[in-house]
Amino acid sequence: MDYPEIDRYASIDSPIHNFDPRAKIITFMVMIFSFVFLDSITKALVGLGIASLIYIIAKLPKAFVIHRLKVVFLFLFPLLIIMPLTVDGQAIAQYHSITITLEGFQYSSLVIIRALSAVTLALIMLGTTRFDITIKALYMLKVPGTLIQMLMFTYRYIFVIMDEFQRMWKAMESKGFKLKANRYGLSVLGNMIGMLIIKSYDRAQRVYQSMISKGYTGNPGTIVNFKLQAKDYAIALPMILIALFMHTYHLVL
Amino acid sequence: MKEAICVKGLTYSYPDGTPALGDINITINEGEKIVIIGPNGAGKTTFFLHLNGTLKSQDNRILIKGKDINGMSNSERIRKVGIVFQDPDDQLFMPTIFDDVAFGPINMGMPEEEVKERVKKALSKVGLEGFEERVPHNLSYGQKKRAALAAVLSMEPEILILDEPTANLDPKSRADFIKVINNLNKEGITTMIAMHDVNALPDLADRVYVLNKGIIAEGSPMEIFSDWDLLKDNNLEAPDIFKFFKVLGCFGYNCEDLPLSLDEAVEVLARTIEKENGHVHLHIHEHTHAEVKDVMHSYNHHTTWHE
Repeated sequence: MDYPEIDRYASIDSPIHNFDPRAKIITFMVMIFSFVFLDSITKALVGLGIASLIYIIAKLPKAFVIHRLKVVFLFLFPLLIIMPLTVDGQAIAQYHSITITLEGFQYSSLVIIRALSAVTLALIMLGTTRFDITIKALYMLKVPGTLIQMLMFTYRYIFVIMDEFQRMWKAMESKGFKLKANRYGLSVLGNMIGMLIIKSYDRAQRVYQSMISKGYTGNPGTIVNFKLQAKDYAIALPMILIALFMHTYHLVL
Repeated sequence: MKEAICVKGLTYSYPDGTPALGDINITINEGEKIVIIGPNGAGKTTFFLHLNGTLKSQDNRILIKGKDINGMSNSERIRKVGIVFQDPDDQLFMPTIFDDVAFGPINMGMPEEEVKERVKKALSKVGLEGFEERVPHNLSYGQKKRAALAAVLSMEPEILILDEPTANLDPKSRADFIKVINNLNKEGITTMIAMHDVNALPDLADRVYVLNKGIIAEGSPMEIFSDWDLLKDNNLEAPDIFKFFKVLGCFGYNCEDLPLSLDEAVEVLARTIEKENGHVHLHIHEHTHAEVKDVMHSYNHHTTWHE
């Protein structure tokens, strides 16, 4: 079973991996926001270059990010077709009343490049830290407890639910079921998802009872020890400066 | 002896009105080893949830060490009674094993250092030293079960309640688990266990309650297993060794107390042979087959499903 383990490579040793999780979240968020607001293709490409550089420093396997970027690209690809047709501007090709504009092409490329660099950064941020540590860092950064707990339980139970789905799927296959895109196949699939929801509901009940029996009062209840060191400042500072510089260099230079 | 748990006339219905428990009266003394048996859906889990106030009872029907559970503070309630549920995936709800085992002590408001110490101690008690940073979904079922126990032990409860601790475990894990529970009991913790596994029961029980919506019977394991009408009515059975010695009785084997476990069987057999001057005498006479059939029949209700 292929689990969606975002933190599979969290145990690699690299400067980004050793970066304090809280500082990492803040720094990367600043960078992501900075890169998303870049206003020209050249700048956006520089942003993507920086993101790739950080990615190389983080020593994450190539497949890790490319596999996920493919999915992102699939979502963004329609822009490349739609925007040149809909945005007004200089026509580069014309067929009867349909015009393809340069501006449309540029805008869509800009959006895609910015998105790819933002997602790359987010993947580095999540991929270089164990997910439970990321959650704890968010907790330390005073993200509301309810949100923290939702993340915690999602992370914990997504695997359990996937296992449950697998078991049901195998049970169905062992009775000769083959998924086909017809009405019967869809109705069986619908039943299965419904069953999964009911099972999850029951489990939520039992988990809650077990939480109450351990004295749960509504707090996430966890202990976190992070210490910011000089090296963390040494990484965070230049990265944040780069993020700011991308928007303010014309004032300085 | 002091009372650990005293339940007086506990009644409970599910939110939809289905009665789950009716008029339960139980008194358990400190340090006792209690096993509760009963068919599926008998209300064992529901009953347990009442014992540390997870489900609220009306009035003050449940006294833990003489004090009403509903009147206790959050931290006092979980310090008194710890419950280990059947499915470990329901109880390991935090991202790492450390977080899970630390959950109870943190809720008790303990300082950080003490929490860490307790986690370490609890994990070593169940043989999971060094598992702090592990993620629950990477653990085997047996390890998850032990981690779930550790998550309760870290609260250092005076009364430990376990729901089906040996279910679905391989023989080695099962034996280990039983040993851990027995060690805890020797340390003075009152243990109360729900189980179907009658062959493991004699190791874990001084006293047995039969629960089926209400308390049907109470007694020593020997008393309960000798009453085959009771077992039959409640879809229960006796340990294999016990049944086997009943059958031996039909062949003329003569001993006063029947063994419930293999260890006891060896002891009983040795004693009987010594008493009979070095051998046991078995024989078949005209009634033997009828008697064997009768014993087999009385303890064998498993065939009804096929008929």
